Amino acid sequence: MSSVTIEQVRKQYGAVPVIYGVSMDIEDGEFVTLVGPSGCGKSTLLRMLAGLEDISGGEIRIGGRVVNDVAPKERDIAMVFQSYALYPHMTVAQNMGFALKLKGQDKATIDRRVREAADILALEPLLDRLPKQLSGGQRQRVAMGRAIVRHPRVFLFDEPLSNLDAKLRVTMRAEIKELHQRLKTTTVYVTHDQIEAMTMADRIVVMRGGKVEQIGAPLELYDRPANTFVATFIGSPAMNLFEGRIADGSFVTNGGVALPLPSDGKGDAASIYGVRPEHLTIAETGVPANVVVVEPTGSETHVLVQIGSAETTLVLRERLHLDPGQPITIAPDPAKIHLFSSEGVRLN
Amino acid sequence: MSDLAITAMQTELTRERSAIRSLRLVQTACILVIALVIVSPLLMLVVASLKDDRFQILADMGSFRAFWVSNPTLSNFWEVGNFSGELAFGRYLLNSLFILACTVGAGLVVNSMAGFVLAWGSLRGRALVLSLVIALYVIPQESIIMPLVIMVSRAGMTDSFAVQIVPWVASPLYIFLFYQFFAQLPKELFEAAEIDGASVFRIYRSIFLPLSLPALATVSILMGIESWNQYLWPTLVTQTDYARPIAVAIATFFGQDSIYWDRAMAASVLMMLPILALYLAFQRWFVSSFVGSAVKG
Ligand SMILES: Nc1ncnc2c1ncn2[C@@H]1O[C@H](COP(=O)(O)OP(=O)(O)OP(=O)(O)O)[C@@H](O)[C@H]1O
Ligand SMILES: [Mg+2]
Repeated sequence: MSSVTIEQVRKQYGAVPVIYGVSMDIEDGEFVTLVGPSGCGKSTLLRMLAGLEDISGGEIRIGGRVVNDVAPKERDIAMVFQSYALYPHMTVAQNMGFALKLKGQDKATIDRRVREAADILALEPLLDRLPKQLSGGQRQRVAMGRAIVRHPRVFLFDEPLSNLDAKLRVTMRAEIKELHQRLKTTTVYVTHDQIEAMTMADRIVVMRGGKVEQIGAPLELYDRPANTFVATFIGSPAMNLFEGRIADGSFVTNGGVALPLPSDGKGDAASIYGVRPEHLTIAETGVPANVVVVEPTGSETHVLVQIGSAETTLVLRERLHLDPGQPITIAPDPAKIHLFSSEGVRLN
Repeated sequence: MSDLAITAMQTELTRERSAIRSLRLVQTACILVIALVIVSPLLMLVVASLKDDRFQILADMGSFRAFWVSNPTLSNFWEVGNFSGELAFGRYLLNSLFILACTVGAGLVVNSMAGFVLAWGSLRGRALVLSLVIALYVIPQESIIMPLVIMVSRAGMTDSFAVQIVPWVASPLYIFLFYQFFAQLPKELFEAAEIDGASVFRIYRSIFLPLSLPALATVSILMGIESWNQYLWPTLVTQTDYARPIAVAIATFFGQDSIYWDRAMAASVLMMLPILALYLAFQRWFVSSFVGSAVKG
């Protein structure tokens, strides 16, 4: 186990920069997820941590040691690939024991540690199988087993669940989290799925276009997004944003609708007003709106409504009977309003 | 459903089945014709080798009697077996086998290593080397054979086994074949092994080579056939019979004044057998490959 420090790390392919000075501190034993849209440089950053990609600038330290020029095998890290990358001609046991064999461990030690890992991951009955004889979820577990037998300082995961179906993904998500709680190994986990990021991480790093947008605990990012990008990226359905300006103690949207301001009084210069769908309710008095689409999911109901010229989503816990075209009045929770500047930076 | 409808469905089914059956028939016929075209010369050779009279063999060519022998005899094989040339016939066979084994053995190692480095190494100018290798492939062997003869004779290598092996070990075609095979394996396999702590040589030996059985089999067969059939090169670089291969020995049946068709046929059959065995041994790997399971499911 080790802390990881990334300091002003840059990466360019030829003249094309893809990572622009990223910094973060990952504590010993912490589970950090990197999220962001496709192509934002998550994999590149992870691969630089692994030593598979060289670093164009800045510094990476693992357990206090600068590893910029250290080969992958000397970094004492283990990586789980999206494609699993199991050795097709080796059995599950051989796949898991390969790294130990290369280290020159004796057969008994390898056997014991492979069994330990297999026990944790419920892989014992599969130890003599070849990868092609396994299901997707089992291959995924073998890939994790290959990582944990080595007792590395850091686990690196690059979208390990994206090849699994939705149901299995939820199961494996819990399994990985449980594994982390048990082993307490520092983990960096790349995903583009914000639910995965929210549910698994101690801290989330949101990236966009090769830069870090915000670093924080999942609920911190949810409650106080630093900018409109994070605000819309975290949370589903996404936060509703309105453009407009502050006038006469309320926020007037470009469509001419007046929205109530938060009670703390900050954010005079706000020109973007954000409220999450789950913080909008149907009330006696409030903003007039018209129902457009109703989507019941069972546990909650998503309602798309029209306010002035803008469309907005509500998430309701109660089962109301609503018809398209029906006029309603909605009210935002004044304690849960987000105000942003015209550049999208948080103000309140 | 009415009886009528059921009957109609049954008729439909029967029609479909008979359509499938006639398609099969056409397929089988096609395969038979192709097989006949490929097999008939071999059959002719085997049949001729069982005929006693070398003038009869010539006379039978060009008619269906070429495929028929009324009283088969092994006497030709017998004579070939007791061949009274410089050396015994079996010795030439052994020479050929030895040259083949060394060429193929060394060739698999050298060409696969070169292909691996070109596909995965961090060598500078890999792309340039690769295009040079491909460029070399278009140069026919025959066109460089005279300079090659001069080179080996200056090096004092003539009339040996080495001279028949060394020049043919590394080959642009096989390097390229291995390169292509290795290059299509997923990058994550290399990286996973790298993180597991394997050196580049170890990755080659423990991961990529075991996965390349289909390529190894293909190259073994092609190289084996090439080595076995070498004729021009050994005639040029061997002066005595000591290291001569069977292909050269058989040529002595085509004497200056008369051609011993009967024995030439028998010798050809004998020469064919090992290469046929090699093919049968490796052909199941030609197509089979379990690389697909490396990635995803
Ligand atoms: N070898 C390369 N040469 C040039 N550009 C590259 C190379 N590898 C990646 N890039 C670029 O770097 C950027 C970041 O890529 P990266 O794979 O890190 O994205 P990502 O965040 O992992 O995306 P995804 O969610 O799709 O996996 C992309 O714009 C990509 O085009
Ligand atoms: Mg990626």
